[in-house]
Amino acid sequence: MKTQAQAVVRFSALQRAEHFAVMLIFIVLAVTGFPQKFFDYRWAQVTIGWLGGVDTARWFHRAAGIAFGALLAAHVARLVFGVAVHRTSLSMVPAKRDFRDAIQTLRYYFGTTDRPARFDRFDYRQKFEYWGLLLGSVIVVGTGLVLLYPILTARFLPGEVIPAAYLAHSQEGLMAFLVVIVWHIYNAHLSPDVFPFDTSIFTGRISVERMQHEHPLELQRLQPVGPERESKIA
Amino acid sequence: MVLPVLASLLLLTPPQGSPPDVLPQSVHANVACDDCHAAEGAKVQCQRCHLANYEKTLDSVHQRAVARGDRVAPGCVGCHGTHDVKKAAQPRAAIAQGCAKCHEGVAAVYAASVHGTGVAANNADTPVCTDCHRAHDVAGPRKTQWALRTPELCGSCHANTALMKKYGLSAKVLSTYLSDFHGKTAALRGTQGTEPNGAVVARCTDCHGVHGIQKATAATSPVIQANLLQTCRQCHPEATPNFPAAWLSHYEPSIKKAPVVYAVKIGYAIVIPFMIGGLGLQILLHLWRLMANR
Repeated sequence: MKTQAQAVVRFSALQRAEHFAVMLIFIVLAVTGFPQKFFDYRWAQVTIGWLGGVDTARWFHRAAGIAFGALLAAHVARLVFGVAVHRTSLSMVPAKRDFRDAIQTLRYYFGTTDRPARFDRFDYRQKFEYWGLLLGSVIVVGTGLVLLYPILTARFLPGEVIPAAYLAHSQEGLMAFLVVIVWHIYNAHLSPDVFPFDTSIFTGRISVERMQHEHPLELQRLQPVGPERESKIA
Repeated sequence: MVLPVLASLLLLTPPQGSPPDVLPQSVHANVACDDCHAAEGAKVQCQRCHLANYEKTLDSVHQRAVARGDRVAPGCVGCHGTHDVKKAAQPRAAIAQGCAKCHEGVAAVYAASVHGTGVAANNADTPVCTDCHRAHDVAGPRKTQWALRTPELCGSCHANTALMKKYGLSAKVLSTYLSDFHGKTAALRGTQGTEPNGAVVARCTDCHGVHGIQKATAATSPVIQANLLQTCRQCHPEATPNFPAAWLSHYEPSIKKAPVVYAVKIGYAIVIPFMIGGLGLQILLHLWRLMANR
C-alpha cells in the first residue's frame, strides 16, 4: 500500500516503551514533586490535599523516582552492552558536525545562507535534548538517593552535601520541567513542522516525506538507490 | 472557720478577705453586689458582661476537663479570683504565677527559661503562658493542630524583624526553617486538609525545647554545636557526627556559611534562565524563518 510504503521505521518497540515509561514517570514526579517545592502556594496545598497528604505524595514521588532510576540504569546498561558486545554505533554521540550544523541552522534562520543544514539520524537539537535528559536524570537520581538516605550519606560525606542535594534536586527538576514545557512541547507538538502531534515515538514510524525534510542523510543511507526501494521500508 | 480555709486550699485559691474589704480595690469597685449576685445562692454569671471571653472558655482545655468531672480545672474565678478581681496582666508575671497554682512543674521550668527570666525582669516582649497557650480558649498542646501551628506561633515574635533586631536575633529563623525539609513537611501537613499520618516532624520546640527554652548560645542549649548531634539523634538515632551539618542552622546559604549549597544556588540561578532563554530564542528564530520563507 502506498501509505505504508512511504513510512520508515524510526524507533524500535523498546525505544518506544522507554519513551512512554519516561513520560508517565515524569508526570508522576512533577505532580508529586512541584507541590513540595512550591509548598506556600495555594495550588500546591490543594494538589497535596488531592493526593492524600504530603506523606502519600512523597511515597508516590519516591516510588516513581526509584522506577526512574531503574529505567536510567537499564538504559545505560543497554548502551554499554550494545557497544561492547554488538559493536553498535551510538548515533546520539555528539560530533564536530553537530556544532557545524548548529551554526549553519542559526545562519539559515538569520538568512545569511539559503541552505538549511542536512541532518543524519538525530539532529543537534535532538542530541542536546537527549544528553540534557540523560545528565539531568543522573543528577536527579543521584541527589534523590542522597535525600532518601541522608543518614547513610552523612556517614561518608560532609553533612552540607544533603542541603546541596536538596537544592540541586529541586532546581534540576524545575529546569527539566521547563525544558519539556518550552522545548519538547514545541518540537513534538506546536512546531508548524509537526503540528499538532509528532506521532513517530508512539507508532515507531515516520513518513519518508518528513525523513527527506528532517533526516535526509539517514534516508540516503537507508535507501541508497531511490526512495521507492522496498528493502528497508516497512 | 476551718472548713472554708480547707476548701480554698483544696481549690488552690488563697483565702480571701471579706467582700467589703477587697472589692473597693478590685476592678469591680463600681459594680453593685446584685450585678453578680442576682439572687441568694444563684451562680455568678460572669458572661452577663464578659460574653465573648466566656464563650472562648467553652472551647478551652480547662472547660473540657470540667466537663469530664475534674473539680480542680478552673472556670473564670479560678484564674481571676472573686471579689479581688484585678486586671489580668498587672504585672505580666502574675499570669505565670496564676498558672503556677496548678501547673507547678512546668512553671518552675519556665521560670528558669530565657522567656521566664525576661518576664520576671519586667520585659514586655518576652512571652508569658497565655501568649502561646492563649488566655480563655486555652488549647490542648497535645492536639495535632497545635503541633502544626508551632512554627507560626514562634514566628509571631521570631519572624518580626524590628522585635528581633532589638535582641540581636535573626528574624529569618522561620523562613529558613520553612525552606528546609522539616519546615516544608510541617507546613504541608498543616495545609493539606487531612489529618497527617504519624507524628509531626521537627518543629521549633523539638530542637530548641519548650518551656525551658534557652538562648541558642547557652552552654546547655540543645541546639549549640556541641549538643546538636544528641538533638538530631532524638529522631535519627543512627546519625553520625557529619549529620548535623546537613542543617544550615537557620543561615541562608552564603560563601561563608554553606559554600557548596551557595554554589548550587548560584549555578542554577544562572543556568536555568540561560537554558530556557536560549531554547526559547531558537524557537522564535525558527518561527521567524518559517514566516519569512512563506
